[in-house]
Amino acid sequence: MDFWTELDQWALLVPLFPALAFVIIGSLGERLKRFEHGGWVAVVFAGLSMVLGFLIAIGEMLGPGTYVDVHTTWFSIPASTGFPKGFSLVMGTLVDPISALMLIVVTLVGFVVMLYSIGYMHRDTGLPRYYAILSLFLTAMLGVVLADNLLMFFLFWELVGVCSYFLIGFYYAKPSAASAAKQAFIVTRVGDVLFLAGIFIYFSIYAAADPTWAASGFLFTNGNSAFLNLGVGVNSNLLTLAGLFLLAGAAGKSAQFPLDSWLPDAMEGPTTVSALIHAATMVAAGVYLLVIGSLFLGFTSIDDFAIVAIGGFTTIWAASMACTHTDIKRVIAYSTVSQLGYMVLAVGAGFAMVGLFHLYTQAMFKALLFLAAGSVIHAVTTQDLFKMGGLRKKMRYTAFAFLAGAFALSGIPPFAGYWSKDDILSSLYGQLATHPEYWPFYLMALATVFLTSYYIFRAYFLAFEGPTSREPGLADHAHESPWVMRVPMLILSGMAIVGGMFVFIPGFASLFDPALTSAAFPVTLPLNIPPSYPLIDIELSAISVVLAVLGILVAWRLWGNGRIAPLPRSRPARAMHHLLAERYYMKRAYDWIAATGAYTVARGADFVDRFVIDGTVRGFERTFAGLSQRMRKIQTGVVSDYAAYVIAGLIALFVIVLFVAPWLVSKLGGG
Amino acid sequence: MSLIATGLDFLPEILLLAGALLVFLMDAVGIRRIEVVGSIAVGAILFAMLLVFADLGFAPVAFLATIPRSQIDIVPAVGSTPLYWFTSLGLFFQVFFLIAAFLVALASMSRPSRERGAAVFYGMILLATLGMMLVAVASDLIFLLIAIEVVSIPSYLLVAYTRRDARSMEAAMKFFIVGALSTVLSFFGASFLYGAYGTTNLFVLASGSAISNGAFGGGGFPLLVVIGYCLLIAGLAFKITLVPFHAWAVDVYDGAPDDVSAFLAGGTKKIGLFAFFLVFLGPVLLVRGTVEFQWFGGIGAVALGPVLQVVLSILAVVTMTVGNVLALMQKSMKRMLAYSSISQAGYMFIGIAIGTAPALTGASLQVFAHVFMKTGAFLVVAAAAGLGVGPLIADWRGMGQRHPWLSVAFALMLLSLAGVPLTIGFLSKFVLFSAAIEAQGYFVWLAVAGLLNSALSVFYYGRVLKVMYFDAPERGPVIPTSTEASVPSPGAPNGRGAVSAIGLGAGGIGYARATTIALIAIVIVALGVYPGPLLQPLAAAAQHFVNLAF
Repeated sequence: MDFWTELDQWALLVPLFPALAFVIIGSLGERLKRFEHGGWVAVVFAGLSMVLGFLIAIGEMLGPGTYVDVHTTWFSIPASTGFPKGFSLVMGTLVDPISALMLIVVTLVGFVVMLYSIGYMHRDTGLPRYYAILSLFLTAMLGVVLADNLLMFFLFWELVGVCSYFLIGFYYAKPSAASAAKQAFIVTRVGDVLFLAGIFIYFSIYAAADPTWAASGFLFTNGNSAFLNLGVGVNSNLLTLAGLFLLAGAAGKSAQFPLDSWLPDAMEGPTTVSALIHAATMVAAGVYLLVIGSLFLGFTSIDDFAIVAIGGFTTIWAASMACTHTDIKRVIAYSTVSQLGYMVLAVGAGFAMVGLFHLYTQAMFKALLFLAAGSVIHAVTTQDLFKMGGLRKKMRYTAFAFLAGAFALSGIPPFAGYWSKDDILSSLYGQLATHPEYWPFYLMALATVFLTSYYIFRAYFLAFEGPTSREPGLADHAHESPWVMRVPMLILSGMAIVGGMFVFIPGFASLFDPALTSAAFPVTLPLNIPPSYPLIDIELSAISVVLAVLGILVAWRLWGNGRIAPLPRSRPARAMHHLLAERYYMKRAYDWIAATGAYTVARGADFVDRFVIDGTVRGFERTFAGLSQRMRKIQTGVVSDYAAYVIAGLIALFVIVLFVAPWLVSKLGGG
Repeated sequence: MSLIATGLDFLPEILLLAGALLVFLMDAVGIRRIEVVGSIAVGAILFAMLLVFADLGFAPVAFLATIPRSQIDIVPAVGSTPLYWFTSLGLFFQVFFLIAAFLVALASMSRPSRERGAAVFYGMILLATLGMMLVAVASDLIFLLIAIEVVSIPSYLLVAYTRRDARSMEAAMKFFIVGALSTVLSFFGASFLYGAYGTTNLFVLASGSAISNGAFGGGGFPLLVVIGYCLLIAGLAFKITLVPFHAWAVDVYDGAPDDVSAFLAGGTKKIGLFAFFLVFLGPVLLVRGTVEFQWFGGIGAVALGPVLQVVLSILAVVTMTVGNVLALMQKSMKRMLAYSSISQAGYMFIGIAIGTAPALTGASLQVFAHVFMKTGAFLVVAAAAGLGVGPLIADWRGMGQRHPWLSVAFALMLLSLAGVPLTIGFLSKFVLFSAAIEAQGYFVWLAVAGLLNSALSVFYYGRVLKVMYFDAPERGPVIPTSTEASVPSPGAPNGRGAVSAIGLGAGGIGYARATTIALIAIVIVALGVYPGPLLQPLAAAAQHFVNLAF
């Protein structure tokens, strides 16, 4: 066994390093005051994790297409009628091209964000809690990436959500932060319950189709053969349902329509958290889930269409809302939702690897944009774009970083975003001949290119260009951030500029090569090869670049050089603006549904409360007076009620057994 | 079979009886210190547990076995109508019951040393445990119902044993009255079944074949059977707190002394589930349609088995949902735990409604998990009351900072109750729900209901976590607001003499109580992470149980 294969055996250590940091910071707490309240501990362990993660990824590039699965049985259940060979659950790590790529993304962004936090969070209190939970998040996210079976994937997926909840609510004294945390938790929780239901259905389908799969612990590596053994058409309705449930889980995590409203609100958390969790890693986990689903679990054509539709619609839905917001973080957050839509679109159209490629570039330039925005917020202590202006002269590094991120996001060659976004568009275009139903979503994705470059350059011009800030005195004390914040921005700027061109390095490209992914597993999937620039129609590419440049020009015309574009005069345009600023009223609709639903439940609960609970409690109070009186009360009062419940229950039982249940049995056909 | 052999079979039960008698004897001669009495009880329970483990064939202690292997998991000969039988699943339940008794007995040794009623407390715990052990080996309906009474009567006494607190007295009265009613219903149901079948032997009832031997002669009279089973459901549902037979539970758990609540919620209510296993598993699996009834035009004859399955499924879903919804709005910690206990009973009931071996495994695991989680939670509440924390959830503000270790243990128990992965509570729910999925048909909806309910339960468990860790503690010194007269703050002068040496340590919680809580927390995580040693034999036992009798 050579060194690189040997290394894959130790993949467990990658998540274990931040876990150690969590334990150390969590148990020592404020005693680590000298180490920036535990910050440096977190940085060091994240660094170790990054080094190991990169080594594993390099090993994967040197030996393309290898995969190493190390696992141990967690628990097993003996054979029974449903599972002829029993089933077992395993815990283990799987190193394959996809997880190697995700290791690069997660450990790199994790490390730079930790480092950046040292400067950015310096003035806050409660830092041990921050670093401990951020380290735990990193552990959980790496667990998701390295998991070798669906159940373990789910466990870490849940843990990621919990960490996100705590970090969004980091400023829990602020009501808006606490409410945003709750909202994020509840929305993703809804998705998670559906996801779990999907897992159960996959389990039951595949365990029946291929007993060895269940017996060996639902490993991804075996799931594929189970899928193939299933044959075409068998249980396809159930399979569709499972795929839709999986999509719901992914949509909750990746903030896809209609579960998208939590992500912009999640910006209440520290900006570092937004950069790591809500731009680069956790929200991308939903896309990663869909990639895994398409590679190992199998989607039916209905699932694929649903995925394309949701992804395609989300791109333009979120991008349009980004055009009117004045909060710099929210603009970037909507942009994240929109970009995640591109990835979902690509996966649904059968280009899982292309989606992953965009996941990788987006993680780099979106984290960069957030860090640059954080640097601005750090300097001027506001998030309102309309109050900023002229910051380029005082913050050259930050302006440069933001500009690099903005070009990458807009898809201007040769920045990173160009390669991946163009790949998605041309891949999808290639499908249009056989799938004409994808046309509307292709057009939406194309139009989004224009909107994207418009809103991000609007943000850039408002914040950095022009003679001076619009709020007097705001930028007087603005200065460039310390080196711990500049270095991460420089690293990510580099990635945003050249990261996309790495695909011309053969080893790196092999991570995206579906042929090599298939080499490990018996799959035949319609995947396109990502570093496909030479293959792209040059016309298609030209169209999207022109659209992007057009967006920049419009932004410059309206907002450049410190101008503030007046609100449009015509009524339809005003109505449109209002609609976008109000987020299509979706937030209000959700609030209304929640409030009405809660009110109905509360009314029912109130009834029970008043007539059952309250009666009991009042009975309690009365009984404190005098023994004889109490005995009388008990015998004539509350207890007889309870006895009455029992008798009423008995009568209900008779009715159910004699009348309802036989009817139900005849309908349901027995057990 | 000789008397000695029978005696050997029941050696663990005899030990418990002897322990109880010894406790009462010592009380009579004036030895009443809780350390002494408690040690006797704990010793008896531990020794009994050792013997049951030996009977189960666990390697290091197997040589102590008193029941021959050849008598365990054996179908009785045709025509014989034994009163009791030994199954590995029953023996596992005996272990669960003994664990609950052990945890409560150990923790209670941290009560004030000279507190009155120690002998009553420990004596009744031992006697109730004896009854629970008998439930787990019953094979005759009358034997089963009498065994349940052996549990019930000491339970009534336990709730009121302090004889000072008005609330406990009231709770005991309610418990007794409603309990008596349910006993009447159970025996009434048993008499109907006897009328139909001419026997109360569970094997014969399970087979459904003796219907022609009944008092009404050939052809039988199915309505008698149906009424009998309905009455039995109502009577036994009282024990396991199924909605709508649950109303007593909240008042009793709330009013009883904390340790007793722990025993009732963690221990005695589980006999209801095993009783359901014994009485209903046969008929539930009896889909052959031997017992049919025909009432309504157009539907035709309906077999009893599927009908019972529908009824039990409805009870399960109603119970878990009502328990969860009511738990959502509780302000008092103990009432919240009581409602949570009701909803957990609903999850367990999924197992009996489905009736397959994996489902029984899941239900048994849920019982095992609940023994630890709920006993532990009530013990933590008792410890907190001793530390001067009030009865409301809001009184737990800032516990995370004031009592970090106690809070961590409590958080683990709540997470396990909510079914969070890597705890035993997740494992049991996972096995249960996957069994429901596996059973296909409408049982899938049971799993869906269970999943939705566990999502719902996260809200109220999460609220407690939020209160403990996120809400700032009140300013100024915490005023002890304990309403629990029977548990005075250890260390505080309470006018009743010295506090036991055991009661002083571990930061005011008491060494014995602290040890118990720590033990529970460790088991919740350890078996959640590495459940193999428990899961394998339990699944095998459940498979035996299903294959065996029915």
